[in-house]
Amino acid sequence: MTEKYLAQPDLGFIAQVKGLGGDTLKKCYQCATCSVACPIAPENSPFPRKEMIAASWGLKDKLIANGDIWLCHNCGDCTDLCPRGAAPGDVLAAVRSAAIIEYATPKALAKAVNDPKKLPFLIGIPAIWVALLAFITMNYGDTMTKIFNVLFGDALWGRLHWNAHGGGHAISHSNFFSTWFVDMTMIPTATFAVIVFLLALKRFIVDIHANAVAEGKTDKTTLNYKELFQALIRVIPTVLKHDKFNECETNKDRATPHMMVLYGFIGLFTVTSVCFLMMYLGGYYGPYPQLNPIKWLANIAGVSLVIGSGLMIKNRLSNKDTLNTYKDWFILGIVFTLGLTGMLTEMARLAHLEYISYALYYLHLIAIINLFAFLPFSKMAHLVYRLTAMAYAEYGNRK
Amino acid sequence: MDKKYGVYICTGCGIGDTLDMEALVDVPDEEGVNCTTHPFLCSKEGVALIQKDVDDGKVNAMVIGACSKRVNFDVFKFDNCIVERANLREGVVWPHSREKYPALTEDQKDDEEHFDPIQMKAEDYIKMGMISVEKVTLPEPYKLESFSKKILVLGGGVTGMAAALDAAKTGYEVTIVEKTDALGGYAGKLRSQMPVAEPFEALQTPVVDAMIQEVESFSNITVKTNTIVARIAGQPGEFTVTFKTPGEKIAFDVPFPLPEEMLVDETGKELDAETAHAKYLEYNEGREDILQLDPNGELYGAVVLAAGWRPSVLEGEEFAHLGVDLADVVSNDEFEMIAAKGKIVKPSDGKEAKNVVFIQSPGKDEDDADFEYCGSVTSMVALKQAKYVRNDYSDGKAYIIYQHMRTPGLQEYFYKSMQQDDGVFMTKGAVTEVVAQGDALAVTATDTLLGDNIAIKADMVVVAGGMVPATKDDPIINLAYRQGPGFRDNDIFGQYADSNYICFPYETQRTGVYAAGTIRRAMTIEESIEDATGAALKAIQCIESANRGMAVHPRSGDMTYPDFFFQRCTQCKRCTVECPFGALDDDEKGTPKINPTRCRRCGTCMGACPERIITFADYTIDSIGSQVKAIGVPSEDDYDEPPFRFLALVCENDAFPALDMVGMNRMDYSPNVRFIPVRCLGSVNTIWIKDALAQGLDGAILIGCKHGDDYQCHFMKGSELAEVRVKKIGDALASLALEEERVAFEEIAIDEYDKLPGIINAFVEKVEEMGPNPFKGF
Repeated sequence: MTEKYLAQPDLGFIAQVKGLGGDTLKKCYQCATCSVACPIAPENSPFPRKEMIAASWGLKDKLIANGDIWLCHNCGDCTDLCPRGAAPGDVLAAVRSAAIIEYATPKALAKAVNDPKKLPFLIGIPAIWVALLAFITMNYGDTMTKIFNVLFGDALWGRLHWNAHGGGHAISHSNFFSTWFVDMTMIPTATFAVIVFLLALKRFIVDIHANAVAEGKTDKTTLNYKELFQALIRVIPTVLKHDKFNECETNKDRATPHMMVLYGFIGLFTVTSVCFLMMYLGGYYGPYPQLNPIKWLANIAGVSLVIGSGLMIKNRLSNKDTLNTYKDWFILGIVFTLGLTGMLTEMARLAHLEYISYALYYLHLIAIINLFAFLPFSKMAHLVYRLTAMAYAEYGNRK
Repeated sequence: MDKKYGVYICTGCGIGDTLDMEALVDVPDEEGVNCTTHPFLCSKEGVALIQKDVDDGKVNAMVIGACSKRVNFDVFKFDNCIVERANLREGVVWPHSREKYPALTEDQKDDEEHFDPIQMKAEDYIKMGMISVEKVTLPEPYKLESFSKKILVLGGGVTGMAAALDAAKTGYEVTIVEKTDALGGYAGKLRSQMPVAEPFEALQTPVVDAMIQEVESFSNITVKTNTIVARIAGQPGEFTVTFKTPGEKIAFDVPFPLPEEMLVDETGKELDAETAHAKYLEYNEGREDILQLDPNGELYGAVVLAAGWRPSVLEGEEFAHLGVDLADVVSNDEFEMIAAKGKIVKPSDGKEAKNVVFIQSPGKDEDDADFEYCGSVTSMVALKQAKYVRNDYSDGKAYIIYQHMRTPGLQEYFYKSMQQDDGVFMTKGAVTEVVAQGDALAVTATDTLLGDNIAIKADMVVVAGGMVPATKDDPIINLAYRQGPGFRDNDIFGQYADSNYICFPYETQRTGVYAAGTIRRAMTIEESIEDATGAALKAIQCIESANRGMAVHPRSGDMTYPDFFFQRCTQCKRCTVECPFGALDDDEKGTPKINPTRCRRCGTCMGACPERIITFADYTIDSIGSQVKAIGVPSEDDYDEPPFRFLALVCENDAFPALDMVGMNRMDYSPNVRFIPVRCLGSVNTIWIKDALAQGLDGAILIGCKHGDDYQCHFMKGSELAEVRVKKIGDALASLALEEERVAFEEIAIDEYDKLPGIINAFVEKVEEMGPNPFKGF
């Protein structure tokens, strides 16, 4: 006999999940068709039937800390077959959004990211910031050079000086927006995201383990971080190959665009890292010539990102059955804008359209800030939670 | 009636192709009875041919050798004529084919080796039909001396009012008797009733007030409040009813029959009729005997029983784990009364009850049974009451723990809407414990959809008490019948007022008393109102049938009734006791008194009578007995190896139609069995079986309906009684040195026709193994 579980329905949580796109959660009548359909349901555990009743009972504690909800790729098989229109896939997606908000700090920012009314601020503040720094770059270059000399002197073999670029081109974006300003903005923003994630993960891992133990979903009793990390390494090929995603029936066509976006980001991350190291360690400044292999990778990744996210948008627009919520459009919008403006900026630069290129770059920077700053709060946070949950499932021998 | 006989044989439907018609026509010819054949007897010309003979005065008692009596009964119907049907089609040529039983060649016809079983069967059936028309008479309708068309409705709730309104609208005089001081019943005490209209989501204002107003607007409805019936004497069409106020003691209070232990003396011997009667009078001192009619009684034609239900009381050790003794643990009935007064508050301290757990089943043991008398209504009541909680408090939470959630028909929409209410939480599960925890309650349940062992904190707990039919506690109808004031065999029906739930809705075990509403089964208000219409129509049918001297149900239109040859009555009271419908009363000497309009014409009394003095005009000991004797029994004088002969007495309600279906499906069985349909196996008098064996038939089988838990008998007890009687015959056979296995009893449901050939053949084979009846040829 397991311990008694005190069921404490939370009406607020029910309202929250409904608001996040899970408005069908109360329709479930527990027939378990979803569990039969679900490709990731373990043999003897009725996933997601149990999650559905927990949701309709408003049992926040059982859901937020439930690692299994992250294993769901929202393939839509359950939603498609549900005889009651309870759309378990959408409910789980909404629960995941609620979990992202729950684990995020500060909460206010998390709520703002998921609130369409706050969108003007989310775009407006970065827009003003970038505009301000662009204004400084373009009008106070001399002053900045002086400040740099005073601040850094000969540090890093004298490479830390204002307005450095590879030259050889008529247009360099650092003339519009200093590379230093880029890094001064992006590095703290990214660091902020990483810290938010780390804080969240600290609780998340403990919680999903406790939940798995309480519900008998694991054979592990204690949590061993080393083994968990090893499990994480083991699941990476699965993630890269989208093995789990490809088990989906109803939404099969979603796997390829998702893969394109993932590889696009991996490519761009690699390019950015290489450029960063080249600049600070090698003193080699962009823009890189088109023949450079790094540029090839950048271009391929950029195209992959644009096409992938473009396909995602197209699929969402054409598939009437899939629920489309604000959180989906928000993140898709950012990713697509980011990719598109990046590519167009480059094309405009190559076409020597200086001010058009600057304008596009301006939008590009806003999109990047949005992506980085809101990463732990948006749907994109799934990359961390899902990866962790998959690693935990592997580590805990999910049953 | 001066009988003029005639036989008509149809040669259509394969009869002429299979049978030797010349030989068949010889059968009546030899008796000097005119026999006519026609290739299509049920056609216009065929019927006209018979009608012409009738009109010409040539025939008024006829045998029609054609199809089963279950078909074309409206075609072969001639006024003032006795018609007997010999079942040559479904009974002979359809089940038995010439492929299996080839026709005899001319040489074979005369030898002592070959015989034609199909032809023999057909000839027997013609003979049996001929003797039957000889033995029966045309029924004369029984006319009541005094007659009332008034309808008495017992119960002034929604069912009673609806029945009264329906009957009144068709022009009948109606009296509603209500034991409390106002109309309305339980439905009048509710806060709301379940949704009745699209989209089946909103609760309704109870319909009671509107119904009361409507009842008051009818001049042909009389309402007697604070009244119950002291007794209902007599029979349908002339019920003499004595009213009284509840609690009052009057001379016309209904007497009760002596309990069984008082019917024997100290030595255990049965009391004689007079002593028993004296004891009975003593037992019912101050009450008039049932046969004494109240001179001031009011006359009614039929009764609608709408006495409803009472909430079941869940108390004691059995439900202690549910905390039924705690102040804040209430029944659904008590909860409704709290809700009717205003906002839902805790009975213990009057504080708001925002968290309420509804428990739908006892949960304690391993089985998942609900509380007694629970069903779809209690499921829906839980949903309705959960809605009260949600309507009263925006942050209210209602939990429903059920083993079964039954929401039939369109009520599924109500279930859906409640399920989708944010504050309603449902799970299947077994409640293991309800305990007080501070000023709240803790409910523990196991095997839930959420997993094992969940606990819920609640302000109040509501247990789903069932709807106990009023007939469980009290006879209600207080019939002045010898068998007692209530429904005698009510345990078969779980104490509901019923006689065959599936086939005969509204019919109770007492003709003329029609049950409606929750006394018949748990119903919602809407269902009860609909049900009342059915019972009102049945009451009208009863009155109009009794008025014409016809049976109401299930032998609708039958004008026969049991007739007693009293000179030979030994006052054994078997008929009074065994009648499933209490139709017979007996006087102080034990002489039966027949009440024809109470009778359902099953013939159970005829089967019971050891003196065989009970007959119906067209169904007598002799009419069946003579048919048995008409069965030809070939002996060794006729053939080297004479075929066996068997008698089968089959219930005409289930087994006989099943046998027809066997024929329609061309399924063969032993052609050596002669079937005689009987009204009910209860009407089978053992003399028929004894006669059959005495004349050399090798065995007899009785095939009737299922009884016991899966009872299907039209007359409740018929096949059960027959089985007992067959067992008793066994002893008598043993004394004649006959194996008791020669008499068998089988049960069959109407849809099990495919099993019938197997049953018949198995019996035939078993008897054939025993060898022929040693009395053959004597």
